[in-house]
Amino acid sequence: MRMKMNRISTAVIYMALLLPFGVARGYAVTYKAAAFNYHTCFWQDTTDTAKKKADTLISVKIRRALVKGLKDSLNMEISKLSPNLSLQQMLKGNIPGLYVQETTGEPGTEQSMIIRGLSSPLFSKNDIYNQQPAVYLNGIPLIQESSFVYDIQKYNFNRIGPATNLLAGIDASNINSIEVIKDPLELAKLGPNAANGAIWITTKVAKSGVRQLNVNSYFGFVQASRVNTTNAEYENLFRKPFYQKYATESDYLNYPGYLRDSTNTDYYGPARWNDLYYQNTPIHSIDLGLTGGSDRANFRFFGSATTNAGNADNTALNRYTASFQINMLPFSWLTISSMVNANRMDRDRNRNLRDRFAETRYIPDLYNPLPPSATTYQALLNEYDKNIDNNRTTVVNGYLSLGVDLKKVKILSNLSFDYNQGTRDVFYPSTLMEGNNYVSNYLGYNQRFKIDNSINYTKELGKDHKFVFAAGQSYQTDVHKYNYANAYNGPNDFIKINVVQGNTDSANYLKPVAYLVYRYIDKEQARLFSVYGSARYAYKDLLSFTALVRDDASSNAQPGSRWFISPAFSGQWNLKNQFLKNSNLFDDLSFNASWSRIGKPFTDDRFAAGPQYRVEIGWDAEPTIPGYNGVAAVSRPYTSGWVGYNLKWTYTDQLNLGLNTSLLQGRLNASATFYIKDDKRMLLNIPVPQEYGYTSSYASGMAVRNTGVELGLAGTILKSSAGLSWTSGINLNFNRNKLTALPNGLDQLVIGDMKLKVGQPIDQFFIYQNQGIYNADSEVPVNPANSKRLSFEGTPLKAGDPKWKDVNGDYVIDENDKVLKGNAMPKLTGGWSNDFHYGNFDLNFNIIFAVGQKALNQSAASQYDFINRESGNDINSIKEIFSWQQNPKAIQYPIYNPWSSVVPYRLDQDLFLENASYAKLRTVSVGYDLTRAGFIKKMKSSIKRAYIYVTANNLVTVTSFTGSDPELIDYNGIYNGYGMAIPRTYILGIKLDL
Amino acid sequence: MISFINRHISANKTIGMLLLVAALCLNVSCKKSLDVDSTRLAKEDGHWTSLQDTRSGLMATYGLMRAALADNNAHWLWGEFRQGDFAATNRSDLKAIVNGDLNASFPLLQDITSWRAFYAVINNASLLIERAPEVLAVDKRYTEVNYKVDVAQARALRAFAYFYMVRIWGDVPLITSSHDDGSFQAKARTDQAKVLVYAESELVAAAKDLPYVYGAEGNDLLPGLYYGYDADRWRGALFTKISAYAVLAHIAAWQSHYIDAAVYTDFIMKNYAKANIAYSTITELTSSDGIFNGASNNQIICFGFNDLYGESTTNGHIEQLVLAAPLITKQTPDLYVPKDTIASAFTDPNDQRFGLDTISGLSRTNYFVNYSGETPVFSKIKVLRGGSTNGNFAVYSSNIIFTRLEELALLRAESLAVLGQRQDAISLLNVIRKSRGVATFSDGPDKDLIKEIFDERRRELMGEAWRWYDQVRYNKIKGNNTAFNDLINRKGIYWPIATDVLNANNQLTQNSYWK
Repeated sequence: MRMKMNRISTAVIYMALLLPFGVARGYAVTYKAAAFNYHTCFWQDTTDTAKKKADTLISVKIRRALVKGLKDSLNMEISKLSPNLSLQQMLKGNIPGLYVQETTGEPGTEQSMIIRGLSSPLFSKNDIYNQQPAVYLNGIPLIQESSFVYDIQKYNFNRIGPATNLLAGIDASNINSIEVIKDPLELAKLGPNAANGAIWITTKVAKSGVRQLNVNSYFGFVQASRVNTTNAEYENLFRKPFYQKYATESDYLNYPGYLRDSTNTDYYGPARWNDLYYQNTPIHSIDLGLTGGSDRANFRFFGSATTNAGNADNTALNRYTASFQINMLPFSWLTISSMVNANRMDRDRNRNLRDRFAETRYIPDLYNPLPPSATTYQALLNEYDKNIDNNRTTVVNGYLSLGVDLKKVKILSNLSFDYNQGTRDVFYPSTLMEGNNYVSNYLGYNQRFKIDNSINYTKELGKDHKFVFAAGQSYQTDVHKYNYANAYNGPNDFIKINVVQGNTDSANYLKPVAYLVYRYIDKEQARLFSVYGSARYAYKDLLSFTALVRDDASSNAQPGSRWFISPAFSGQWNLKNQFLKNSNLFDDLSFNASWSRIGKPFTDDRFAAGPQYRVEIGWDAEPTIPGYNGVAAVSRPYTSGWVGYNLKWTYTDQLNLGLNTSLLQGRLNASATFYIKDDKRMLLNIPVPQEYGYTSSYASGMAVRNTGVELGLAGTILKSSAGLSWTSGINLNFNRNKLTALPNGLDQLVIGDMKLKVGQPIDQFFIYQNQGIYNADSEVPVNPANSKRLSFEGTPLKAGDPKWKDVNGDYVIDENDKVLKGNAMPKLTGGWSNDFHYGNFDLNFNIIFAVGQKALNQSAASQYDFINRESGNDINSIKEIFSWQQNPKAIQYPIYNPWSSVVPYRLDQDLFLENASYAKLRTVSVGYDLTRAGFIKKMKSSIKRAYIYVTANNLVTVTSFTGSDPELIDYNGIYNGYGMAIPRTYILGIKLDL
Repeated sequence: MISFINRHISANKTIGMLLLVAALCLNVSCKKSLDVDSTRLAKEDGHWTSLQDTRSGLMATYGLMRAALADNNAHWLWGEFRQGDFAATNRSDLKAIVNGDLNASFPLLQDITSWRAFYAVINNASLLIERAPEVLAVDKRYTEVNYKVDVAQARALRAFAYFYMVRIWGDVPLITSSHDDGSFQAKARTDQAKVLVYAESELVAAAKDLPYVYGAEGNDLLPGLYYGYDADRWRGALFTKISAYAVLAHIAAWQSHYIDAAVYTDFIMKNYAKANIAYSTITELTSSDGIFNGASNNQIICFGFNDLYGESTTNGHIEQLVLAAPLITKQTPDLYVPKDTIASAFTDPNDQRFGLDTISGLSRTNYFVNYSGETPVFSKIKVLRGGSTNGNFAVYSSNIIFTRLEELALLRAESLAVLGQRQDAISLLNVIRKSRGVATFSDGPDKDLIKEIFDERRRELMGEAWRWYDQVRYNKIKGNNTAFNDLINRKGIYWPIATDVLNANNQLTQNSYWK
């Protein structure tokens, strides 16, 4: 903690030192203070946008289109018309090759992004963390959460702590541009952080001139979902055919109590819970940006307050952000720029029973589920009023950069930091959990410091030859830490904190006096040191070649292979200047090819140590048991897996071939990119013979190849200055992945519910093929060899059991009869946006789509598997309030014997596999530019621009998926029905520039 | 209008240069800074250099054994519920186990048919045996005596793990060293007789070094504190000489080597007092803070969940499956003993464990509550957190007691009865019966002593995971139950092996009965 304070104070002092510049007197020079954007840092061809006033958005956009095609930057003007909270929401469907799926509509929850396909199979949530692209905010590499908290969790539905999406903290109004960087060479410049791709956010920048004030605001609401509620009668009728067909007398005796008594109005009465659960909820936001200063020193301030809400369960996110930037140009050769951002997010979370019991790790008796009656649900909500559930995330980040421009030599030195802290305080009164109450407190932080230095040297040989040499070095240090304590069974519901003995003389000083307390603490550090050098050669305006080599060292790599050297190459050929110099048709036609290798450091610090000892004497249900007989116990990592030596850096090889063109004075832009992304030498926790006590062993050597094509097409279809104009843009991405190697030369592996086979995709479902039902015992095939009936893992199949395909014909249905089928990831994703402009009116709409993915409908499986679900009394047995609704699209599955010991409604069969493709009308927005309106002109005010708009989001979904929404499917392709609806939102907004 | 334009800004050149230098100086690049030691693990080098390492390694062996037995409450699923006295209410997976339908396709059955957790005990024990000499060489505080006792415990635990596995799966691969190099060679199964011979020889050797009591002053084998703790702290927690003999006796009995069993139990009966072991009263047996809670010398082999040390859990206790209202808020237990089973097992109305009071007509509640209801609740073991009776918070501290003196006395009685020493057997049997208020057994020409002993075991050890193994031994002795003996002959008494285990080792084949 002290260390951290030192670092922060160092940074503050560092910045304070700069203040003298702000007040010193001097001469005016015409040089402009530059924004610290992606190009100043990495775009060696400094004739690019770097020196442009990045704030003039239109010109920047067009330039970007000329340079790199439309494909990888987001149209912020349009994005800002929607109340998007997180970066993921802004990007969803708008960038080819970037796949975002919102697995819940609950605002502020963690979301993931996948660039150019899955790079490794998804066994657990950790694997999603490891594939996230790096996000840079004005060059600050933002630190993300570590997955290490899951080590102490019994259930991994949510991470402990506030579990707020850290990328929901950036206000769209303050963003000038978002670029998604996929070019291999560009990524290589960014280094190992960016091995999974990078997203570069440039905020609006400080700039000189008369002070400018921008005010944006919107208000609106999210619309409650309309559902058909059900009560126990519905459930009763649902079960009837199963009981009629298969139940024995004792099964009738065990008929659930809550369904037995039809006079019980809680269960059999009106089901009006939905009025309390789903609600129209207001959302609003206001922000203010202030820019001003001279050519030699200028600043920008930005502040915003936003309230976003889900349409159910009283969920919301309140966000406050502030940002301050100063640019200075003390000498014509020196630029200093700095920025500090702060934001705070308070999240009101859902009140699912599952999430609560997962947090408390305690499952009460679930014999009587929550009834659908409004009165009892209201009574529950009243008890919730006594609880505490504070989730606060605070983020501070900033940078200070010095740029020295000596014409031919340019030096850039940059210090950036990112610190985010999450706290969560929970209290559940005893009325919510079998008469015992619960307290938990979490404090965790993630912290990153990074220092980068780079130097550029430009040398021109005659008119035709130009060389740019660059070298750089960086050092990055990350810390993740948390303190967590949970406590049970306090004395009463008025003491909501964990009271400790305050008497210093007591032997139990500072020990808890009332609650049963468990404490957890963990810390992880990682450091990364990098050096790189690159050279670029340009011949006229026709050809350019770049080569780069970098050497990275990670503290998470094993000492023997700490450094990783990786090269990158890129070439660009301007076909327009070569062949079509005089063409009026083509404004630009260029071909580029780029290849790089980038190391991916391990995200877990366990691999650096090699063979090791850990505290692992717990088991699945009790992962945190601390010792034996009160004495610490340390053993080999039997359950988490053996870690040996020779685990070398994982890396990714990427090849990119791109063709970009711009036609008809920029009216039509098109780009096509083909890529191959090979993630190699990845670690896989492979099963080993169990006779050494280990479940598995980490082995290096898994490789996955993603290939794809990205197409972008944007055109101005109609163009007229006064009349109607229409611009349309479409992006398409085809992606497929393939496992190219497994460790130790293995050809295939079954790990848990997944099978990996070389040559096959990694996101396939491993399932049985269902072919109907055996209506009589006599229908079950008999093995002529030993006259045994077809069995399921040794249990003979009977009437009422499913007909699963015996693939290998051995009359035993087992794992060997499972097949790989369907993909969890879409094969084609994209978006189509349209912009109409007429007079002062604008209309735009945006459609996004994802095609070719499948999902296993666990929600349906557990509805049918009610016998096993209900009797288990485990986390899967919970019946939530929202389960009292009828799904109008539900499929009628065959009536199997739910008591059968072959588990007929098991999830791992194609009975529950569904097509999850979708297309969504995501945004419709209508705006009117008031600037030229009479009354504004009459006011003679300083209003430069006034714009009002109305936006509706998430209006229509087209899909054949039978669950509520095909986006609400979990990372692994399993739909469990828990995702909260992504609500329709309607807002009215105004933008004012003064 | 406010204007922020100030065209007269510049700076002192020297300040600028200084700053630039300062900024560059902050960019310290240092190779050393990349050596970050994880705080989340202990590295290989530096380990096995102090007695903390042997202590934590030894405790891990016990902890892993506890995990092997507690995970999914497997100790009882294997030993108590399979074709035992309990019936399942609702859960199909438990019904499958109760009916002996062990290859039913439920996740629970896959989980409990994996033997990995036992091999973790074995591997950890082997590693300790192999590496403890390194500590002995470098840490002066680590005495020769301490070292010998540690190794003896590790050997005894390893042997115990093998014995426990043989009871469940029959033949298992016999691996006697840790192979601690990341190479995982597939090993075939070893004949169970060989495995048990190994276990027996290990236990005999270990028993020589094991003390009767840990941490006691004046103990001849291990004087003074043990790892800094006294005898109170180690009560019931570690393997003593008596524990080793208890396992030896069971290994012998399991193989029907009753002569050996008699010899080993004889040693126990003669020496248990040295370990301060005594018979438990009915109150100690059935109260919520009796021998199933906390530490006691009466726990001859025991894996504890002592609440004092924050080791109470939800999973790993028979209570999780059998306890219900009125003791906790759960409505119906997952498993219960049907009334007619209770009636047929507890025949003596004066039985303190369970009997109907002839005057009041009420039942005794030591073993069962809610007897008048539909499903009686088995409440012999009901250790809510720290021995409390607060049923609002269903977290348990009950120990897994593998054996106690009553069990061993009855095992000795069984051995003697098989060997024909009826009088000695009867007197041991009557010790138990008397302490439970049951009429003593008197011999007669048509009295079935063996049956009486096993009936007593059934009553006394109900809920302690003996029932299944007792039935196996009983039917081996009697040989008159066709169905059961068929099960024994066709090796159906063993459990199937989990698919995960079979998939990971191509030298293994499924137990023939379950193919």
